[in-house]
Amino acid sequence: MKTLFQAATLGFLMAVCLTPDAGSSGPKGTKKPDDVLLSTMERELQRARDQLGKLDPPAYFISYSVHDQSMAVAIGSQGSLVNSTHMRTRTADVILRVGSPALDNSHQQNRSSAISSAPLPLDDDADAVARVLWQLTYGEYRKASKAFLNVKTSTQVNAKEEDTSPDFSTESPQVHSDYSELPPFPDQPLLEQMARKYSEPFRKYPYVYHSTVSVVVEDTRRHFVSSEGSREVVPSTLVRLMIEGETQADDGMELMRVETFQAETVVHLPGEAEISTRVDKIAADLNALRVAPLAEPYDGPALLSGRAAAVFFHEVLGHRLEGHRQRGEEEGQTFTKKVNTQVLPEFLSVVDDPTRRTLNNIELGGWYTYDDEGMPATAVNVITNGILKNFLMSRLPIKGFSVSNGHGRAQAGSMSSGRQGNLIVTSTRTVKDGELRQGLIDQVKKQGKPYGLYFEDIQGGFTLTQRAAPQVFQVLPVLVWRVYPDGRPDELVRGVDIVGTPLAALNRILLTGDTTAIFNGICGAESGSVPVSAAAPAMLFSEIEVQKRQHSLSRPPILPPPGFDRSEATSPAKTGGAR
Amino acid sequence: MIATLMKLRSVLMLALVALISAGADPIVGNPSPTPEDPVLRAMKIELERSKSQLRLEQMAAPYYIEYRVADMEARVADAAYGALRSNLHLRLRFLRVVVRVGDYKQDSYFGQGEGTLDVAPLDDDELALRHQLWLATDRAYKSATESLAAKQAQLKQLTVDQPVDDFAHADPVQHLEPLAKLDADATPWLKAIQEATALYKTDPQVQSMTSSIEFQAANRYFVNTEGSIVRTGETNYRARLEAGTQASDGMQLDQSAAYSGRDLKDLPTVEKFFARAGEMIGTLKDLRAAPLADEEYRGPVLFSSRAASTVFADLVGENIRGLRPNLGQPVRTRGAFASSYKSRVLPDFISVVDDPTLASYDREPLLGHYEVDDEGVRGLRVLVVEKGNLVSYLLGRQPLRDFPNSNGHGRARLPVGSPEPSMGNLMVAASESVPRAELKKKLIELCQQREQPYGYYVEALSGLRYPRLLYKVWAKDGHEELIRGAVFADLDVRSLRNDLIAAGDDMHAWNWTQNIPHSVVNPSVLFDELELKRTDQNKSTLPEYPPPPLTPAE
Repeated sequence: MKTLFQAATLGFLMAVCLTPDAGSSGPKGTKKPDDVLLSTMERELQRARDQLGKLDPPAYFISYSVHDQSMAVAIGSQGSLVNSTHMRTRTADVILRVGSPALDNSHQQNRSSAISSAPLPLDDDADAVARVLWQLTYGEYRKASKAFLNVKTSTQVNAKEEDTSPDFSTESPQVHSDYSELPPFPDQPLLEQMARKYSEPFRKYPYVYHSTVSVVVEDTRRHFVSSEGSREVVPSTLVRLMIEGETQADDGMELMRVETFQAETVVHLPGEAEISTRVDKIAADLNALRVAPLAEPYDGPALLSGRAAAVFFHEVLGHRLEGHRQRGEEEGQTFTKKVNTQVLPEFLSVVDDPTRRTLNNIELGGWYTYDDEGMPATAVNVITNGILKNFLMSRLPIKGFSVSNGHGRAQAGSMSSGRQGNLIVTSTRTVKDGELRQGLIDQVKKQGKPYGLYFEDIQGGFTLTQRAAPQVFQVLPVLVWRVYPDGRPDELVRGVDIVGTPLAALNRILLTGDTTAIFNGICGAESGSVPVSAAAPAMLFSEIEVQKRQHSLSRPPILPPPGFDRSEATSPAKTGGAR
Repeated sequence: MIATLMKLRSVLMLALVALISAGADPIVGNPSPTPEDPVLRAMKIELERSKSQLRLEQMAAPYYIEYRVADMEARVADAAYGALRSNLHLRLRFLRVVVRVGDYKQDSYFGQGEGTLDVAPLDDDELALRHQLWLATDRAYKSATESLAAKQAQLKQLTVDQPVDDFAHADPVQHLEPLAKLDADATPWLKAIQEATALYKTDPQVQSMTSSIEFQAANRYFVNTEGSIVRTGETNYRARLEAGTQASDGMQLDQSAAYSGRDLKDLPTVEKFFARAGEMIGTLKDLRAAPLADEEYRGPVLFSSRAASTVFADLVGENIRGLRPNLGQPVRTRGAFASSYKSRVLPDFISVVDDPTLASYDREPLLGHYEVDDEGVRGLRVLVVEKGNLVSYLLGRQPLRDFPNSNGHGRARLPVGSPEPSMGNLMVAASESVPRAELKKKLIELCQQREQPYGYYVEALSGLRYPRLLYKVWAKDGHEELIRGAVFADLDVRSLRNDLIAAGDDMHAWNWTQNIPHSVVNPSVLFDELELKRTDQNKSTLPEYPPPPLTPAE
């Protein structure tokens, strides 16, 4: 069974992911003469193509993709290091298609039959590299040809599919070699130092039960060759800092606050002073949330902050615009037949632009130059003035959209599918951000509601797109305020999730703020975890529905944390003072 | 400077206070001083605080708490076809907390109540360590309270004839070993695994060739509310070599070699390791050319000491573990010897002892050696099988019917697995033995008596079914012929009891590193009758196209 839902969460960033970087300047187009890895890949690919192209069924497409990655992680908690790992890996993905572009082994549910992966030698030992590629390739050919037999049989046995598009698009080969230097990889002790120092301030807060600070640095150089003649070397880097704090209310509800930062290099991450301010804010938020009243199920006007609106669009709209979801017989296909029709209010437009590196001086997580199928990234105007124009396409064609637009993305080891990069929502019906709150109060009064809701921050969400399940989404807010029309101060509440169905929800947007906020996160779906960004202005909705959140029923810890125990406090040994 | 001063002062005071609180405690029979080791000290302080204060209103307080912390440092690398595929240095710390509610007769050790795990901080930072222990203890206590209720509810529906205690009493142990460090230089071995696997170039028929090393230092810390304080430190060095080929009929043929020891010196020299890789390629070549086993064979089989160690480990070692049966089940243990207490399980000339106190045998280091097990109990020598009769089991602190006490065999997988009774050094001894050459003669005699043209000799075994190196021993002239593609059909506890007829005088120690490290010391043995069949494994086709040509040597 395939995964039923796609989650875009801030969650843990331990997942392996790719993110582009500053160091790479434009295409160099030159082949470095001594790239042993690339020349070995090309030589082996040529042999495979000659040999497997002659067999029955013939291999008509082969690609080799090698991720050479250095990764460093340091995790701290309570001022101590919890994990420190530095590793280098080289992974080869062999993709092989038998049959013909019209119908091949990757058809429908057999997509994973087209890929095999294995670790590759870390050094440029041509004989060893070739040997592993050879083994992977003939093994993959066996897997692919077996799957192709099943595909042929089921297309005969089953009813004709609604969308009879080919299984693989025709594209021109891409040649691009970027050998530019990546920024120097930081020393492990520096990362360890950060993890210790930045997690230390949490010691001050006895009610923050769990807290971690993670620093992740990844440098990747991807080598790609295909039997179509593509040859690419694409570097990328990712630097991320995540601060996480968690507490529990007396009724057992777990409450979590997360802050992430992304930068070109470790040096560009925020400094100690800013981190310490953020930690204090996380702790203050958690302290307020712990004692905040429980929210009740509600349906009425609501204001979403820019970050909240960005996640909302990623879940509710973005995932449903991914190309491959338009043709699966099991997919809900909310928007498949809505091309050139109004799907959003006319003042809203949406572009997915992976070519964009920064927005408002903030690094965008979904930035890349070439996608994981070797296609150049392009900005895709998916919705213009509320009208659906395009989908996020990989090389899997759908009716009316026969080619890729550079959105085929995957985690190493998975088959690519159409995915989001930087999803950016723009608006022409804006007011100053400060005026939105009045707009919310006006709506509350107009609808005769006791209060409206303001969603300040969101931790993530998920959406169901398959037919087997209802076409719903759920967005998980962390800071929700009741805004009263009578001038009472706003009241923080906890324990609700935003729920709804996409078509209804998207058309309840009345107006937006005038600044764009950015949410950088990791998005998980069938093709693995990929870094993404979503950007949007704050939005006023005439109606949003919230439901009670399911939560743990266990009590908070019985004893106070070490160092805060009063029975210890009577003695000078109390380390609370040193905290 | 002020901060430094304060820190020093608080550390001193902490030690003092802990001393006082430990001394004031009535339950600790043998009050242990707060240890100097920062990890043990943090564990001890948090343990005492939990013991004296942790309790839910209206619910029972814990009667027993234990903390275990495992600190592991490892250097792991693997190579294929002459090149490194991974080369990692790791350092990890994990903790495991067990809280028991109830009493020794009936307690909460059941389901979720069997302990909680978490990562532990790597720095010797007392507050950070205690913070993690505090959270884990809280979770463990709540789970224990619920588990006890669930267990009692389940027991109400069962009739238990002879109730057995849930937890064995044990004397507190104080045992501090020096900290183990990983200071061996791995560089020569990184080179060795590359050079060894590069030998695939010498034979185009070799399809796969890989090698790996794992050098590890593990320090384990243990404290409990009975007053035990244990720190053990050990290093383990392992090297492995694997190669595979396909016979012309498609049959997959594999060979492997594994070396391990407590010290880098226990491994073979890199030159010997390299030579072993060369031999392995030769063996694979011989195997490819070897004839297929006959469809069925029933007759005498001789096992080398090495092959027999697999048989004894799997058929004896696994079944003498005193694993508690599921709730309410009337049997004594879970293994094949569950109801064999005081019955014959081996021929009467064989006795078996498990003795973790031995550090070496015939100059060979024994990896099953330890002083104190993972439940804080000293490892004892146990006579398990006496003249063929089962007289005891390997026991942890979970009592069995007729066995109320641990014999120090409660061992856990690294880093923080649940302790279970497990083998240490399993010593299989025969009261009557013959020289190895005699054993072969006996095999031939048996064949001649039964008018069988040949008998089998197993040199290496993989699991209980697959001989890795198997020879026909021809009755007419005694010559040995390598055979491929045979599997055992009936090698089980019954054949071990009834068909094992003789043992050699070639006792040898074999170390096993998978799961929980253990050793088996045993002779070669002769079975009167066993059944071998031709393998039922399907044969895959040969690769669709030839391997890549090698770069010409310069």
